[in-house]
Amino acid sequence: MAKAILYDATKCTGCRGCQVACKNWNGLEAVETYNWGSYENPKDLSTQTWLKMRFIEKGGTETDNMRWLFARQSCMHCTDAACVKVCPTGALHIRTDGFVALDKDKCTNCGYCVEFCPFSIPRLDASLISGIGDKATKCTACTTAGLNRIDNGYQPACVNTCPTGALTFGDRETLLSAAQDKVAALKSNSHPNAYLYGENEVGGTHVLYILDDTPKAYGLIEDPKVPAAATAWQDIIKPLGYGIVGVVGLGLILNIMVARARIISREEK
Amino acid sequence: MKDIERFRKRAIFHHWWIVLCSFLLAVTGLFMFMETLSPGAMGGYSRIIHRFAALGFVAVPIIYFVLNPKTSLEWLKEAFTWNTDDIGWLQAAPEYYFGGPEENMPPQGRSNTGQKLWMVVVIITGVVFVITGAVMMFSGVSGVAVILHDIAFIAGGAMFLVHFFLAVFHPRMSEAMRSMITGKASEDYVKSHHGKWYEEVVAKGEQS
Repeated sequence: MAKAILYDATKCTGCRGCQVACKNWNGLEAVETYNWGSYENPKDLSTQTWLKMRFIEKGGTETDNMRWLFARQSCMHCTDAACVKVCPTGALHIRTDGFVALDKDKCTNCGYCVEFCPFSIPRLDASLISGIGDKATKCTACTTAGLNRIDNGYQPACVNTCPTGALTFGDRETLLSAAQDKVAALKSNSHPNAYLYGENEVGGTHVLYILDDTPKAYGLIEDPKVPAAATAWQDIIKPLGYGIVGVVGLGLILNIMVARARIISREEK
Repeated sequence: MKDIERFRKRAIFHHWWIVLCSFLLAVTGLFMFMETLSPGAMGGYSRIIHRFAALGFVAVPIIYFVLNPKTSLEWLKEAFTWNTDDIGWLQAAPEYYFGGPEENMPPQGRSNTGQKLWMVVVIITGVVFVITGAVMMFSGVSGVAVILHDIAFIAGGAMFLVHFFLAVFHPRMSEAMRSMITGKASEDYVKSHHGKWYEEVVAKGEQS
């Protein structure tokens, strides 16, 4: 049964309890932050920060017009997951509940997931030159081996801690229909741009966002796609490679059989 | 029977050095290409081997070129010099390699058309490997670099199978392996397989 995490931006207060709970449960270290002109901190995801809230200030400097938009920035758990498509070792894989899990033992720091994720979520800290360093990391929806909340009947840590109910966890279908109702209500209540993000994006994601404005306003990627290069590489070039090598191999076997026989028969004459 | 020198010792070393590096590169690279082999990449050792082999793959040809600029340039020129004889070879080759009569093969230079084709593939895929590999090593994985790296691997790998097969198994290439180990091939073999070059060698021999 497909599961999902639903993030309702209209209920989020930007408290970042989810950020802390994520680090707490997954044993991630605190990252030293600095004032870079926003309350949003740390500035980016890292191997030690798998989830963070994006703070977007809208409107002028006048307090009256000012709006603060909060958007969850973490793995979207795509159905058509580009990272899974390109992962050469199967370290990244899709669970039966739809979450994109990561088996760190199998990860080799290749960085393909970092390059091909349409949401720029995975991070790794490996030296490019030696290839040595931290393996790929990302939100696993609390399915990491040894830290698996989901399979033990608990909610993901971020959902569990959320004080306003902005994050909920459950069957994707149930959450989806609730979210559709909420978005419809928002639309008829002076939020014409309200949008349910993740319903259809990249095959439908397993993290859904209720937005009272466009995805763009929330700093989300409009119409994310599995990169064409990932598809061309995995679905065309690789099979073509196996095909070419197979044909050449068969041709060579045929060649030696025919050539031997013909040369021997001529020598016997 | 008299032997003729096909390859100098340093060229032979260069050849087998590239074989060693390419072998390591291909095996560790396959770990990232075929999921069934991917357990080989665990622990990250294959990445380190890939990088050291790449260093050898780049450094030794450069050293070779610096030490032997004249023969290196001649070799490059040979690889990219193609004329109507090569078309004749390409037309006659399938019949010849499938055990047909030898008479129809046009006489060949020091390297025949197939060997030149292999040289061209090695040079082009080598350059593509090094450039795309350097991009990934120094500025990170990029989709274009990965794809070009893989295309070079498929093209070079398929041609390598042919090269390996001819050198090791094909009954017509009876002295190919010997000449790449000892540097020498029999006069008969050179006469029948590299007629044009044989004449040059004989002419040179008469001059000196």
